[in-house]
Order: sequence, then structure tokens, then C-alpha cells
Amino acid sequence: MSEQQEISLSILKKRWLKFKTLKRGYYSFVLLAILYVLSWFLPLLVNNRALVLSYEGEMYFPVISGYYAGSEFEQDVPGEAIYRELQAAWESEGSDNWIIMPVYPYSPYEDITVAGNKMYDPPSNTHWLGTDNTGRDVFARLCYAFNISISFALVLTVLNYFIGVLIGGSMGYFGGKFDLFFQRIIEIWSSLPMLFVIIIISSIIRPSFFLLIFIYTIVNWIGMTYLMRAEFYREKSKDYVAAALSMGQTNFKVMFKHILPNAMVPIITFFPFAVVGGISALVSLDYLGFGMPPPTPSWGQMLDVGLQNITKAWMVFAPISALFSTLIMVVFIGEAVREAFDPKVYSRLR
Amino acid sequence: MTTYFIRRILLMIPTFLGSTILIFVILQMAPGGPLERTIQQLQAGAMQQGESVGSVGDIMSGGSSVLPESAMRELRRFYGFDKPVYQRYLIWLGVWPREIKHREVEFSGDTKEVSKNVGRGTYMTLRLDGEQVGVYDKDGLTSDIWKGSIDQEASDDDKVVATIFQTEFSGILTGNLGTSYTYDQPVTEVMAPRFKISMFFGLTGLFLSYIVCIPLGIRKALNHGSAFDFLSSVVVFAAYSIPGYALGMVLLVLLGGGSFWDIFPLGGFRSPTEVWETLTLWGKIKDQVWHMVLPIIAWSISSFAGLTILMKNSLLENISQDYIRTAFAKGLQEKRVIWVHAIRNSIIPIASGIGGVIGVVIAGSYLIEKVFNIDGFGKMGFQAILDRDYPITLGFLVIVVVIRLVSNILSDIALATVDPRIRFK
Repeated sequence: MSEQQEISLSILKKRWLKFKTLKRGYYSFVLLAILYVLSWFLPLLVNNRALVLSYEGEMYFPVISGYYAGSEFEQDVPGEAIYRELQAAWESEGSDNWIIMPVYPYSPYEDITVAGNKMYDPPSNTHWLGTDNTGRDVFARLCYAFNISISFALVLTVLNYFIGVLIGGSMGYFGGKFDLFFQRIIEIWSSLPMLFVIIIISSIIRPSFFLLIFIYTIVNWIGMTYLMRAEFYREKSKDYVAAALSMGQTNFKVMFKHILPNAMVPIITFFPFAVVGGISALVSLDYLGFGMPPPTPSWGQMLDVGLQNITKAWMVFAPISALFSTLIMVVFIGEAVREAFDPKVYSRLR
Repeated sequence: MTTYFIRRILLMIPTFLGSTILIFVILQMAPGGPLERTIQQLQAGAMQQGESVGSVGDIMSGGSSVLPESAMRELRRFYGFDKPVYQRYLIWLGVWPREIKHREVEFSGDTKEVSKNVGRGTYMTLRLDGEQVGVYDKDGLTSDIWKGSIDQEASDDDKVVATIFQTEFSGILTGNLGTSYTYDQPVTEVMAPRFKISMFFGLTGLFLSYIVCIPLGIRKALNHGSAFDFLSSVVVFAAYSIPGYALGMVLLVLLGGGSFWDIFPLGGFRSPTEVWETLTLWGKIKDQVWHMVLPIIAWSISSFAGLTILMKNSLLENISQDYIRTAFAKGLQEKRVIWVHAIRNSIIPIASGIGGVIGVVIAGSYLIEKVFNIDGFGKMGFQAILDRDYPITLGFLVIVVVIRLVSNILSDIALATVDPRIRFK
């Protein structure tokens, strides 16, 4: 019974089962996936706006509905209400009003202009990882930056793959002048120091998230393109392609229905490493000041501030540990994926 | 084979032109260039003196209230913005005559002839001749070194503004990278010492990573699956997951006198010159090593993981080949089989990578140079972009491009040399 099942398993299923047996990679994958999904709900978890509050019989949902002035709750502060203090005050008064704060009641953007925040506050019970040079909570910024980094890397990689498959696939499949032309372009592109080109472009236009991805894609598409070109070039000469063509399939169908599934292995095994590249690229750009516009939370910006305040170790260690642990988990995933998809069996010496 | 490499070298030319055109156009199209920046600075200076100042947009459209028209023309000419982009590119390349030693001449009213001092008591006569300006020397002959042209934009009905200038072919092809705006020195002079520093770092780091990675990779391959292999793999993964400059920051915080121990200096290539000059030879060596430990570690970490894994996999692959089985079968010692048969073949991918590494030596290190505040080549290029110092930015990029192109070919030549099976065609 079990043997029959094994035979009927698809190759993808088999690989997935193999991947699951590689504990290091599998657990990294599960953990990272959970963290990333959670990070989309960060406003509910790490925020200075209350989830729910009941004030004189009426319910308010500041996380969803946004800004409420402090005066609305009879709080004597300029501008927005400070829900943390409200909570403390109501509790000590024992009033009927109540408030439910997020698990970690600090926002990545509130700085010393909000009462109670201090610059360079070392890690403590309230600020788990301390505060930075403008009094912003390091832990809150770390969490939000995690979401941005991973999203950036994922979108970037998918986009690069799309271009890579399209152009590289056509280069390999059609060959000829088209191939030669793009080969020259690739050669020109790859001779340029790309981080510098990005810096030049970013120093001209202040990039936003998608503009940054766009810029980075312009300079970064060649890697995948070249990989895909080689893959399509090799597959093109196989019999099944000739068979498909002789049955009158269109080029488009041959490329994407017949060849592409056979070129999947490098696409998938390379994916985690492309994500590593994307994350590190964003961090280095942010570190140099050419990434996301401030005050977007970003590890690179935190590194920069941390290095300027080298005596406050938490400001350097927090972003570096976050970066390091994220990257190493992705690398573990990558290694396991490679093992599952492209296993190399080495014979022993004798 | 030779034809292949000759073709490769010839193909470098279009690639070089293509990438320089790309860089040049991006830079020249960029707003906030050196011209705007200078104008802004001048404006700021004027503002401090309490003069009224128009907005930048106002200035750019020509309605300058601070700078007189002639000064604007002077500036534009200095930065070369009085020519269309393609001419600027060709001038920069050195195949279009560059206009130097400008002097402005104004023909007001009906004047058709003006005498102009061109230095050292030499006078040139300029004669207005329809739409052209003729330049004549004291004997009344047409000058062959000085040329004249009419500035159409500046001229109007009352007056004609003309410039006389000399021309020369000088650009990157003649070795002239221009003069830096910020350092006020020829670009090559600015670059040379910084290039040496980066090279010094790069080669030391390269050497160190090779002598660590190759033995480590061999050891890991021979003990594949052992505890040693597992433990060193952890280190390798960790090294792969931390960018070199980030590791540099950790090292600085830990050992650079930040929050913990104060063992190594916070940065710099070596002690300041005043101190450096007083040191003995032994002192100099010690000082240099003392400054270099942390940056070199940070520098090498990036290639450490890749090289080790490459060495390990390459050796593992070779060991599983049939020829190794044959060597064992004919009764050779294990030592001989590995060190003579297997290693020689598995070193091939590493040896061929040597050309490519040169490119990384130059361009890949500026993040580390920034962290450790080393005045190297990469940091210079980065700073030049920030300062809109176009001659340095362009010179920097050109050198990086050339190094990359050359190192690609070197890699292939190295590969073909160490591996006689490889035939390029």
C-alpha cells in the first residue's frame, strides 16, 4: 500500500517531503513564514494606538479609525491622545473607562515629541531594546522594518524572475540576433558597479518603496536572465520540444507550457539566495542613506545611527541581530531547498 | 584560442563605449548637478550678505538676480554645459576638440574689430565677419592656435559676445580624466593614493581568505559529514549571512572602544601622518597591522563562505569521479591520490576565479571603507557622487568598468591555462 503511494506521488510532492525532513531548513521556513504573516498585523501588535477603548459608555477603535485628539478623552496633551497614559490614569482612578492596548504599546514613529519618550534610553522593561537618537522605540522599528525588508526582497525577486524568464527565456529559445543584442546589453550592464548606479539614481530621485524596487530591478535583472537563457538554450534542443513543435504548438506555448516547467529547478533553488541578496541590498542602501525615505523604519538606517553612537551598543546590536537571524534562516531554507530539489550524492573515498 | 581572445578584447571596445555612454548620460541628465550646486552656494553666500535672492528655478530660467550673465556663462563653460550632451561625451572621451583658455570679447555697437590680451603681452585681433569671428595675430595672419566663436545666446541687437579659445584633444583616451571640482587637483592625482590603499586592503584580504579557505575547504571535503564538517559549516553559514560591513560594526562596538573593550582603533588606514612619521620601521608595521585587523576581517568574510564551499564541493565532486577510483585501484596511497590527483583538478574553479576577484577588490569594499573611515578608492567614488564631483565620479566608474572587463578576460585566460581541456571558440 505504502509503496504504491510513493510511486504515485508527484515529483513536487516528493521534494516537499524531502524538504520537510531537513529540519533546519524546514523549521526556519515555518518560523519565518509565521513571523512574516504576523508582521502584516503589526499595527494590532506593536502600536501606540489603543485597540479598543470605552469612554463614558462609548466605544472607540483608534487602531482602525485613526486619529483622536487628546481632548476628546479629557486628556491634557497637545495633538493626539497618548493612550498609554490614559490607560494608566484610568486604572489608578478606578474609573469605568477602560482601554485595551496592543501587546507592545509603542509605535515606530513616535519620537521625543511625545511626552515620556527619552533619547538613548537603554533596554528596559518598557522599551525592550531601548530607544534611538530621536527617542523612537528600537524594538518597534525593528519589527516594522522586518516586514518591509522581506516584502521588498520578495517583490524584487518575483519581478526579477518575471523579467528573467521573459527575456532570458526568449534569448535562449530564439537565439540569433535577439540573443546577441541582449548579450551585449547584459555585458554592458554587468560591467557597471551596480550599487553605485543605484546610488546615482537614488540621489537624483527620492525613492519610495516601489520606485526603489523598480530602480533595483533595472540594474539587477541580468542574473536571472542569464540563468534562464542557459536553461532554455539547453532545453530547446531536447526531443520533447521538437515533438511539441511538430504538433503545431505555438512558440509561446512551447516556451511557457513545455520548457518552463522543466527549467523550474534553478528558479526555485535560487529563490532564497535571491531573497538574501534583496534584503542585504536594501540594508546597505538604507545604511548609505539612499534607500527608503525617512522616517520609514529600516535596519540600514538603524545601523547608521547605531554606528554614530557606538557607545550605545543596543543600537548596533539590535538591527544586526535582526538582519543576521533573518538572513541565516533564509540561507537555511535555501540550503534545504537545494538539497531537496537538486541533491548531490557524493560517493565515499573508497 | 588566440583568435577567441583577440575577439574578446575587441568586443571590449563597444562594451566600454556603451557603459560609458550610459553613465555619462545618467550623470548629465541628473538635476542638482555641479552647476546648480555652485549657483546655490553663490546664492547662499549672497544671502548672508543680505542681498535679495531669487529662487533656484528663477535662476535656472536665466533670471538671476545674484549672478551677472557673464558669470553664468563662465560657470556653464567651466562645467561644460554650454555644449550638447553628445559633444560633451566626445570631448570627455578625447575625440572632439576641447576648448580651453576661454576669453570673452564683447563687440558693442558697430565695432567690428577688438584687440584682446591673451596673456604674456600677446594681443590677438578679433574681427567680426558676418556670423563668424576671425582671430588674427599681430602680423594680420589667421591664428592657428586661437579660434573664435560667437555666443548666440548672450548676443543681442546691441552687442555681440564672442569667445576666443584654444582647442586640444584631451580626454580619457589621452589619459586626462579632468580636474576634480572638490579637491581642485587632477583626478588621477586624487585617485592614485586612494587606489593604492584599496588595492593594499584588497590584496591582503584576498591572500588571507585564500590561505584560510582552501585548506578549510579541503579539510571539510575529506571529512564530509563529520563533526568538524558540521561545526565549520555553522561558521560558514554565519559568515554568509552577515554582510562584511555589518560584521565590521559588531567588531567596532566590541573591540573598538565603543561599549566593551578598547583594543583596536576606531578607524583610519593608519595613524595620522604626524604620528606615522615619528615611528620606527617596526613601529610602522605594528601600527599598520593594528589598524588593519578589523577591516581585513570584515573584508574577507564576504568571500570566506563562497570560497570555502566552492573548494569543498569541487573536491568532493572530483573525489567521486572514476579516475580517483582507478587511482586507488592501481594501489596508490590515499595521500598521493588526494594531493596529487584530486586537488589539482579541484583547484581549477578557484584559480579561474582570480580574475573576477580583482573587480571585487576595487568596487566591493566601499561599505567597509565607510564603516572604518578609510580614505580608499570606493569611499572616494561614493563621496564624489554626493558632492556631484563629475570628473571623479566618471573617472571612478571608468576605472571600475575597465577593471571588470579586463578581469573577465583574465579569468577566462586563467581558466584556459590551468585547464587544458577547456577550449573557447
